Amino acid sequence: MRQIEFIRSNTFLWTAAVAATLALFVAALFAFIYWKIDDYLVMRSDRMIATQLNFLAELPPARLNDAISDHLKQDSRGVQYAGLFDATGVRLSGNIARLPPQLDLGGPVQSVRLARLAPPAAHEAIVKAAGRRLGNGHILVMGRNVDEMREISSVVGQALLLGLLPAFCFCLLAGAWLSIRAQRRVEQVNRHVQRIVAGNLRERLPQTNADDPFARLARIVNGMLDEMETTINALAGVGNDIAHDLRTPLTRVRLALERGRTHAATLENLQDVVDKSIAGIDQSLAIITALLRLAEIESGNRTAGFGDVALDEILRQVCDVYEPIAEDKDIALCLAIDRNAEVRGDRDLLFEAIANLVDNAVKFTPRGGRVTLELVSDDKTVRVGVSDTGPGIGEGEREAVLRRFYRSDKMRNTPGVGLGLSLVAAIVKLHGFRLTICPTPGGRVEILAAARAMSRGAAASDPTRSRHASLAPM
Amino acid sequence: MTRILLIEDDTETADAIVSELTEHGFEVRWAPDGIGGLDRARESSPDALIVDRMLPGMDGLTVIEALRKDQVRTPVLVLSALGAVDDRVRGLRVGGDDYLTKPFALVELVARVEALLRRPIDSRETTLRAGPLELDLIERTARRGEREIDLLPREFRLLEYMMRRSDQLLTRAMLLEEVWNYKFVPATTNLIDVHMGRLRHKVDGSGETQLIHNVRGSGFILRVR
Repeated sequence: MRQIEFIRSNTFLWTAAVAATLALFVAALFAFIYWKIDDYLVMRSDRMIATQLNFLAELPPARLNDAISDHLKQDSRGVQYAGLFDATGVRLSGNIARLPPQLDLGGPVQSVRLARLAPPAAHEAIVKAAGRRLGNGHILVMGRNVDEMREISSVVGQALLLGLLPAFCFCLLAGAWLSIRAQRRVEQVNRHVQRIVAGNLRERLPQTNADDPFARLARIVNGMLDEMETTINALAGVGNDIAHDLRTPLTRVRLALERGRTHAATLENLQDVVDKSIAGIDQSLAIITALLRLAEIESGNRTAGFGDVALDEILRQVCDVYEPIAEDKDIALCLAIDRNAEVRGDRDLLFEAIANLVDNAVKFTPRGGRVTLELVSDDKTVRVGVSDTGPGIGEGEREAVLRRFYRSDKMRNTPGVGLGLSLVAAIVKLHGFRLTICPTPGGRVEILAAARAMSRGAAASDPTRSRHASLAPM
Repeated sequence: MTRILLIEDDTETADAIVSELTEHGFEVRWAPDGIGGLDRARESSPDALIVDRMLPGMDGLTVIEALRKDQVRTPVLVLSALGAVDDRVRGLRVGGDDYLTKPFALVELVARVEALLRRPIDSRETTLRAGPLELDLIERTARRGEREIDLLPREFRLLEYMMRRSDQLLTRAMLLEEVWNYKFVPATTNLIDVHMGRLRHKVDGSGETQLIHNVRGSGFILRVR
C-alpha cells in the first residue's frame, strides 16, 4: 500500500517524467551524432572510390592487372572491391565475380550488389561501387564495403546504454529520495495538524531556520494559527460578554415592569415605567446593532465603498458635530490641521471611527478640560490624533480597550455599550491603517494611514486655531 | 383620506402597524404575502406602500421592482430585519424611498410614512416660510417676524429641514440621516438634543410662542399651526 502511494506520489512521478525526457533527449543526441558520422564516412569512402577509380583508369593497360592485385593485397580488412572485365563482361582480374548489371558505368558512386570471388565470404553484399569503361573497351569497377558503419552504430548504442542507464537510475533514486523526504514532512505536519484539529490550539508546526519552502510554509501557517488562536479566544469571550451586557439592561426592564405592575397607581406612573422599560430595551437593541455592525465591518465586505477621502474635511465635520456637546460640558474642542490630506477608504466608516474617538474623548474628559483633534501629514503618511486632558487609558488596559464590551471599571456608569473602540479598531484594520493608544498623560489615540498623492489645494494655515475660529461652512 | 397598503406576513406586527396608522387617521389595507400584495397594489393604487422584505410567495424587493416597472411612482417604505448597509442600498436601489430596520418604534414608522407622503417639493422658491419664520435660501439668513436669527451653517440646514416638514414629527434617526448624514447611531445619544437645544434657544426667544417642541420619547416637531 505504501509503495503504491509512494510510486503515485507527485514528486516521484515528476522525477520519472524528467528522467524519461532526459533519456529521450540523450538518445536523440546520440542518434544525431551517429547519423552525422555515418554520413561523413560514406562521403569519405565515396571520395576514395572515385579517386582510386580515376587513378587506376589513368594507368597504362599493361600495368592495370598488377595495380589491381596490389591494391587488393594492401587491403588487410577485406573491404575493398576491384575488378577488370572485358567489353563482353568476362572477368580479367580482381575479386569481383561478375559484372553487376545494375551498375551505371561512368556515373557517380552508388550502392550495388556485388558477388565476391575470394574468401572470406562468397556471399553477395551491398557495397558502394563505381565503374568506368576504359579506352580499350575494358570495364573497371572499384568498390568498398561500408558494413563498418554497422559496427559504429553498435559502438554508439553500447555507449548510449552504458551512459544513459546509470543516469536514469540515478534520476529515479533522486526522485524517490525527494519524494520520501517530502512525504515524511507532510506526515509530520499532518500529525501536528491532527492535534490542532483535535482542539489543541496551542500546537504549532515544527519550524527550522532553513530557508526551504517547507520551513516558509510552516512559518506562514504558524502565523495564521497565532491569529486564529487570538480570534477564537476572543470569540469565546464575546459570547459571555454579550450575555452579560444584555442581561443588565434586560434586568432593569424586568424590575421596572414588575414594580410598575404592583405599584403604579396613576397613568403617569405607568407611563414612567413604560418609558424606563423602552429605554432598557433600546439599550439592548443598541448593543445588538453595534455587534451586527462590528461583524459587518470585520467580515471585510465593506471595501466596495472605497475611494479617495479627504481626512481634513472629515475632521472639520466631526468637530462641527461635537462642538456644542463639548461646549455644554465646558470643554474646549480644538482642531489642528497642518495640511490637507487624502487617504483611500470608506468615507462613512472613517467618519464613524473619528467621531467615535472624539465622542469618547469628550465623554471621558472632565469639565474645563480640552480635546484636541489634529491631522499631521507628509507625502507618505497621515496621522490623525485625538488627545484629551481626561484620565487616559492605563498601560494595562491599552490592549483590553480594543476588545468587545471592555469597559474600564471607572467608566461603568457612563452611558455607552463598550463597543466604540472595538468598532474603531475594526474600521482601522479594514483600511489597513494602524491604531495606537499613546502613553501620554491624558488620553491620546492615533490613527496612522498611508497618504494619497495630494491633488487638492494648499494647506490650511495656523496649526492651533481654536475650533471657534476655524468653523468652516459645510 | 390617505390610503396605505401594508404588505407584511407577521400578523402581530401587521396588527400593531394597522392600529397605529389607523389612529393617526390613515386608511390601511393589509396583504399578508407578496403576490396578493402586488395584486392589491395594482388594483387599489394606494397613496403609500409599506413593504416587508422577506415575504412568502414573492420577496418584497421583487414586488417593488414589479411596481416600478409598471411606472407606479407610489412612495414605498421598506421594512426589514436586514440592516446592513448593503441591504439598505439594495432596498433603495430597486425603488424603495425609505428603509426602516426591524425592530422599530411605531412613532418612527408613522413619522417616516408622513414624511414620505409629504415629500419635500423641490421648489424653485428662494424663501421658505413657516408661521412667523422666514428663511432666505440665497442670502442664508433667517428671521422670526422682525427679529433676525443668527444661525451657524449646520443650524441653518436643520431649521430648513424642519420648516420643509413643519407640523410633522421628526425622529432623531431621521434627523441624523438627513441633516447630519450619519450612517450609524452615535455613542452619545443626546447628540441631536444638544444641537436642537441650541437651535430652539435661537428660534424661540423669551416671551415668544414656542415653535420647536420636544415630543417625549419620539423626536421633535416644528409647530406653526
